[in-house]
Amino acid sequence: MKTKHTLAFLFSLVMVFTSFVNYAQEKKTDSIPTKTNRYGVRVGVDLFKLTRSFYEKDYRGLEVVGDYRLTKRYYIAGELGNENKTVEDDLLNFTTKGTYFKVGFDYNLYENWLDMENMVYVGARYGVSSFSQTLNSYSIYNRYPYFMSSQTIESGEKFDGLSAQWVEVVLGIKAKVLNNFYIGFSFRANKLVNNKTPENFDNLYIPGFNRTYEGTFGAGFNYTVSYLIPIYKKKVVPVVVPKKK
Amino acid sequence: MKKIVILVFLVAAIFSGCEKDDICSENTPTTPRLIIDFYDLTNPTLTKNVTNLGILGEGLNTVILFNGVSKIQIPLDISKDISKYQFILNYENSNPAFINSDQLQFDYSRNNVYVSRACGYKTLFMLDTTNPFTQTDSASLDGLWMKNITVLQSNISNENETHLSISF
Repeated sequence: MKTKHTLAFLFSLVMVFTSFVNYAQEKKTDSIPTKTNRYGVRVGVDLFKLTRSFYEKDYRGLEVVGDYRLTKRYYIAGELGNENKTVEDDLLNFTTKGTYFKVGFDYNLYENWLDMENMVYVGARYGVSSFSQTLNSYSIYNRYPYFMSSQTIESGEKFDGLSAQWVEVVLGIKAKVLNNFYIGFSFRANKLVNNKTPENFDNLYIPGFNRTYEGTFGAGFNYTVSYLIPIYKKKVVPVVVPKKK
Repeated sequence: MKKIVILVFLVAAIFSGCEKDDICSENTPTTPRLIIDFYDLTNPTLTKNVTNLGILGEGLNTVILFNGVSKIQIPLDISKDISKYQFILNYENSNPAFINSDQLQFDYSRNNVYVSRACGYKTLFMLDTTNPFTQTDSASLDGLWMKNITVLQSNISNENETHLSISF
């Protein structure tokens, strides 16, 4: 009986030790996180402008977007686009055609876990657009139409060499949906800083800036799908948080 | 997170500053009318009120009636370089002897000027320098009641100034 008890004790002791060993091993592998950040060029296209070109007969537009990761949180970002839009207002009908580019940065506010590569970002852009306006037809506003003559004048006058510059505040998200594919959405608040308007007409639409209002503010958004071309990886060094006293 | 909230508020603040701009405001000067002041013939410094002055555009049958005012506003034809009117004093008076009708024709050039998205364009008029107006008697030959017509401002670009003065 005594030997039996001794054997049982030894056996359980071994069990306890092995469990300790197992525990220690697990802890060891756990303490080495192999977290890396990928850096590269991301290029994409605005799906909203692309689809709108199909369903809206008065609109043709394309926007290519891109960014390059500079640091953990900062990205150089930009857009390049072309638009051809005809606006039919009550009193005016005009066509705007032109090309634009925007350049600036994005700052990622999102704290990614492990290999996540998502973004919730704020950014800024400087936009430049070069375009033409064609006044297809216009109406004379007549508050006292006594002579019953409603005047809609076919004009067709083209104003070339117009330009505008503006600043944008960007608020957006980007989410990795497949390995190197990202879907993004961004809102933009714009403010014109320079606007070369035509003689006896106005820039009521500016490619890249969108519709203009009485003031200098405007708004826009895009819905993008983009692909990351990875260039290099950077290991994430764990930051030692100093103890608070 | 705080940063995002602040930014959303900032964007909202920017948009709240936008004005609705697709309705042409009453305060926006658009196509001006011809402004005429009436003066007393015997005392040219004093304005004189008209009594039941009916204005009838040529080829039209709607009479614009002015009564008890010395300043009147007449819309010009924005599709032609000529506007022709009958100026009928004491329009539809029970005593036909009081009714006097003169014909007044205005000759001008037009210029269409851009206003805004909501108001489109406006037409500005420039009265002909050599022959701004032609006064003729009506078919009934009741004599001319407007004795003296003077162009004060041949450039009709707004309704704040008087363009023509008429003494009777």
